[in-house]
Amino acid sequence: MPSFIHTTRATTRRRLRLSLASKQAAFGIAIILPTLAILAVFRFLPMVEAFYFSLTQYDLVHPPKFIGLANFASLLQDPLFLKSVRVSLTYVLFSVVPVLPLSLGLAVLFNRSLWIKNLLRSAIFMPVVMPAVVMAVVWTFMYQQDGVINTILDWFDIGPVPWLRSSATSLWAVILIGIWRATPYYMVIFLAGLQAIPKDYYDAAEIDGAGTWASFRHITLPLLKPTTLLVVVMNVIVAMKVFAVPLIMTGGGPADSTRVLPLFIYQTAFEFFDMGRAAAMSVFLFVGVMLFSFIQVRMFTRGDEQQ
Amino acid sequence: MTGTVTPAGTTAAVTGPTKRKTAPPGLLRRLTRRPASIAAFCVLLGVACVTLLPFYWMLSSSLRTMENMFSLPIQWIPEPLNWRSYVLAWQAQDFTRYFLNSGFVAIAITLSNLLLCSLAGYSLTKFRYGGRGVMFILILSTMMLPLEVTMVPLFLIIKQLDWANSYQGLIMPFLVDGFGVFLMRQYMLSIPKDLIDSARIDGASELRIFWMIVLPLCKPALVALAVFTFREAWDMYIWPLIIITKDSLRTLPLGISLFMSSYGTSWDQLMAIAVLGTLPMILLFFFLQRAFIQGIAATGLKE
Repeated sequence: MPSFIHTTRATTRRRLRLSLASKQAAFGIAIILPTLAILAVFRFLPMVEAFYFSLTQYDLVHPPKFIGLANFASLLQDPLFLKSVRVSLTYVLFSVVPVLPLSLGLAVLFNRSLWIKNLLRSAIFMPVVMPAVVMAVVWTFMYQQDGVINTILDWFDIGPVPWLRSSATSLWAVILIGIWRATPYYMVIFLAGLQAIPKDYYDAAEIDGAGTWASFRHITLPLLKPTTLLVVVMNVIVAMKVFAVPLIMTGGGPADSTRVLPLFIYQTAFEFFDMGRAAAMSVFLFVGVMLFSFIQVRMFTRGDEQQ
Repeated sequence: MTGTVTPAGTTAAVTGPTKRKTAPPGLLRRLTRRPASIAAFCVLLGVACVTLLPFYWMLSSSLRTMENMFSLPIQWIPEPLNWRSYVLAWQAQDFTRYFLNSGFVAIAITLSNLLLCSLAGYSLTKFRYGGRGVMFILILSTMMLPLEVTMVPLFLIIKQLDWANSYQGLIMPFLVDGFGVFLMRQYMLSIPKDLIDSARIDGASELRIFWMIVLPLCKPALVALAVFTFREAWDMYIWPLIIITKDSLRTLPLGISLFMSSYGTSWDQLMAIAVLGTLPMILLFFFLQRAFIQGIAATGLKE
C-alpha cells in the first residue's frame, strides 16, 4: 500500500497549513485510496483493455494487430457464437423464471411459526453452502445412466433419462442444478423482505375480511415488488456468469448444447489463444451484464437521492 | 376459512394499532391456522429432502464400495463401509497442499476485504470531501465488471506483472470488492456522527477512532461480510484455472476438477474428496449460521 503511506506523509508535511476540517477530509480520502487503486488496476483497466483487444487480432505470440470491428463482424456470422448466445439466454431464462415462484413460495411458507422451523430452514439452505465444483462432481455422479436420479425416476416408471449424454437433455440437467442452488439463496432474501412488512397490515386486512390469498395478492406482492425486482436482476447476472458447472460436467457438449458464453470466452482465449475474438465476446457479455447491473446499482443508490 | 378467522381478527382490533408482534395468538386462531401450518410443514419437509439428497448421496457413496456403487435396490446405508476411499483419494494427489492453498488464499482475501471495505465504507459515510458521491458510484459500478467479462485482459495484466503461478496473482485482484464496500457503507450510515466527534474532542487519533470505536460497532456487518467473502473465495474456480498451472499452487477446486478428469470413474474416491471439500463450508455454516444467512439476506439490502 505505498500510495497510502505517501499520502499520509504528504499530509504530515502540510499539516500546519491545513484547517481541522480539511485534515479530516485528507484522512477520509487517504483511507479510500487503496480501494480505488485496486479497483482501478484490476477492474477498470481490464475493462478498457477488453474494449481495445476486441478491436485487435492477438494470439499472445505476435503483438496485437488492429483490425477494427472485424472480430464483431465475424462473430455475428459465426454459428458457434450465435449458438452459445442462445444457450446462455436459454439458461438465463429457464433458471431465473422457475426460481422466482419457488423461492417466494418457500419464503411465504417459512414466514410463520412452524415445528422445527430453524432446522428445516438450515436443511433447505444447504445447497448454498456446497462449492460449485463439488456440486458439478456430485451431480455428474447422480446423473449417470444407472445413477440415483434415474433409479428414483424408475419408481414412477419414468426414464431412464440420458441427462448429460444427450444434447436434448444436457442443458436442462445443468439448469436443474442452477435452480437447486439458487432457490434457497433467494428464499433467504425474500424472507428478509417478508419480515420487513408490518404485521398490522395483515391484521387490518383480516378485519376487513380478506382471506389468505387476498392479503397475499394485495399486501405481500405489491410490498415485495422492490425485492422481487432485485432478486430477478441478481439472479439474471449470476446466471449469465455460470461457468464452473457446465465446464466440469460437459465441457460445453454434447454438440455444443451447454457451451454458455463465459465458457466459450474461456475456451477461445485459453484453448485457442484467440484473445481478440475472446475480448469481443466479452464485450457482448458485458453489455448483457451491464443492462441488469445498472438496475441493481440504481436500486442500491435510490435511498441516497431521497436523503 | 376467512369467516372462522374473523374472531381472532377482532382481538387485533382491540389491541389497536400498537405493535402486536409478541401478543399470543388466540386459541381459535391457533386451531384454524393449524391445518395450513401442517400443510406448509409437509411441503417444506419434501423440499428439504430434495435439497439434502445430493449431500446424503455424496456422503453415503463415499463410504460405499465400488461393487455396490450402482447396485439395485439402492443401498441407502452402505454395507460394508468403505473408509479406504478417503485415504486413497487423499493420497492420489497432493490434496493437503491444495487444501492449505485454498485456505490461505481465502483467508487472505477475507481479511483484506474486511479491512479495506470498512475503511472505504467509513470514508464514504463519515467524511466530507469533493467527489465523494462519484467515488461511491465508481466503486459500486465495479459490480458491472465481473471476472467473466474481464478475464482476458486481467490475465494479460497479471502475466505482465509476472504473477501467473503465484499467490499474489490469486489474491491481489480480489483484495477489495465493490459490493463489500456497499455493505459496510450501508451499515455505517447508522453509526451516529456525534460518537466520532466526541472521541475527536477527547483527542483520539483518526486511526484510533476507526479501530477502537467504529470497527467494534460494525461487528455484525463484518461477520456477514467475512462469511460472504470466504464462501466466494473458497468457491473461486475460473480465476485459478486461468493463472495456475503449477501443481504446488493449485487450489482445492482445481484439485477436485483435475481429480475428476483423471479418476473419473472412481466414484467412491471422488465423493470422498467432494465431502472433504464441502466440510469447511458446512462447519462454517453450523458455527456461524446466523451470520451466514444474514450475509445472504444483506445482498438484498436496498435501504
